[in-house]
Amino acid sequence: MRGHVMRGDVMISNEMIQIENLNRTFHHAGNEVPVLKEINLDIQEGACVILKGVSGSGKTTLLSLIAGLDKPSSGKVLIEGEPISKLPDLFASELRAKKIGMIFQHFNLFDHLNVSENVTIPLIPSGLTMKEIEQKVDVALNLANISHKKETEASRLSGGEKQRTAIARALVAGPNIILCDEPTANLDRDNSLLFIEILKDLHALGKTIVIATHDPLFDTLSFESTIVPMFDGRIV
Amino acid sequence: MNEVLFSNEVIVYLLAESILFVLLLVALVVSLKVMFKWDFEKFTPYQFALERQAYLVSTIILLVFAMKFLLIVYFIFSIDALSLIVPGAMCAAGVITANEYGSFLLILKLIILLFLTLWLYVHFYDMHTKNHRWFKEKSWLFSFIFLLILLEFGLDFAYFSDINIHQPVSCCSALFGQLEGANPLPFGLNITFLLVLYYLLYALVMLSIKTKQTVLYIVSNILFIYIAYYAVVYFFGTYVYQLPTHKCPFCMFQVEYLYVGYLLWGSLFLGTYMGLSNAITTLWLKQSHDASQKSVLYLLSFFVLACTAYVAVYYIKNGVLL
Repeated sequence: MRGHVMRGDVMISNEMIQIENLNRTFHHAGNEVPVLKEINLDIQEGACVILKGVSGSGKTTLLSLIAGLDKPSSGKVLIEGEPISKLPDLFASELRAKKIGMIFQHFNLFDHLNVSENVTIPLIPSGLTMKEIEQKVDVALNLANISHKKETEASRLSGGEKQRTAIARALVAGPNIILCDEPTANLDRDNSLLFIEILKDLHALGKTIVIATHDPLFDTLSFESTIVPMFDGRIV
Repeated sequence: MNEVLFSNEVIVYLLAESILFVLLLVALVVSLKVMFKWDFEKFTPYQFALERQAYLVSTIILLVFAMKFLLIVYFIFSIDALSLIVPGAMCAAGVITANEYGSFLLILKLIILLFLTLWLYVHFYDMHTKNHRWFKEKSWLFSFIFLLILLEFGLDFAYFSDINIHQPVSCCSALFGQLEGANPLPFGLNITFLLVLYYLLYALVMLSIKTKQTVLYIVSNILFIYIAYYAVVYFFGTYVYQLPTHKCPFCMFQVEYLYVGYLLWGSLFLGTYMGLSNAITTLWLKQSHDASQKSVLYLLSFFVLACTAYVAVYYIKNGVLL
């Protein structure tokens, strides 16, 4: 195991993702509910960071803010120096489409489309020709080891196959950052290990990976990683 | 109480205007607060809260402005419907001149729509900058539009509550009919010169779009819409009605003429508003939108072609001109 636990702020140079004094508070029934509190985290290009914590610790909210899917209450999130937390939706979407691939716990596939079509979707607004799109889709399917199922409808896939399709979809636009939210929560142990093997390949390709999980399998990865424990909205 | 206020169309219209006004009032209060405290470079909780509020305000304004474009169509429809209960009125022309507020209200509505279109352009450019570069300009413009809408809101109620359904009004033939010896056309023009000017100005508008001469475009388009109004009322309209004595800008909104007024006037005003807004933002913000200029070209060309087609079809069918 080459992964290691770090407490407090993680400060590494050549940052792909920089988070400074990040806070996110939700308002519920007239009450303020602070979900993230003063998060500071710098993630180096090519690093694999695992956000570990129990449910409600703020992992998913942090991923959403990194992806620009949500806006913070205060603080900065910079992606390659670009403040995604301040960008208008149009630019945040553009940045996300180019630089960030997301993998979700529930896969979020279109069940009535086949694997290849699901993976094609992120490239539809890209302006690429059909031939270029097909080439990129084939590369992504091979990387995720799901090309043998490319014509199969998503509803007919197993959990592991669905997750690999989701990985291919996250990779197809060639993003440098991969964000995974509880990626193995719906997988059995064998498929979880297979998923981790794919992550290893992505790490070898130099992708920056951030995983929010409470799965103990991620405690003993066979490649370099940094575990960032979270509790009650803070990095501890 | 005035019976006009109890007609279905007027109730719906005034209720819709009231709801939109309340929404705009809320938007104005928040917008002013945001505008004076705005500092996009800050990452503080207050600035993030302002950005959320600004997003909400923009969404409200967009919704209300979209509804305002629909409401002017409904306003025309409503006053046309009132012609059934206002004695002497044959169409909206008689109803709009039923008191001293009507014509001013209609002109104000048309001016407001021009500024709304301008706001939409500024908003578009603002949303296409990473730092909301035009936020303050957009907010000031909205504050100004709100004042116009406030005036419009008061005039709406003043106008409808002041229509006396026991007092006869003039019909369109009396309002737009040619009095003996009097020339209703501007600059002392006759119909032939009016038409020559109409087509020349259209050509000038197209030329200024193609050559991107912004000032020339603004001048020629304002002149074009002015001349086009007279050309439609005093020449092309007679072919819509197929009656040389029927001169009215409003009757063509009626079912007998297949509601073609909405299409003709709609294309003219929408094309002009888009073109002028694009030209103003070109001069003001140094931003222009080429794709929307194409729409202007298509809309104004459609308007000119449709007007001309009415004359051509009539001539082909009957072998004579009116």
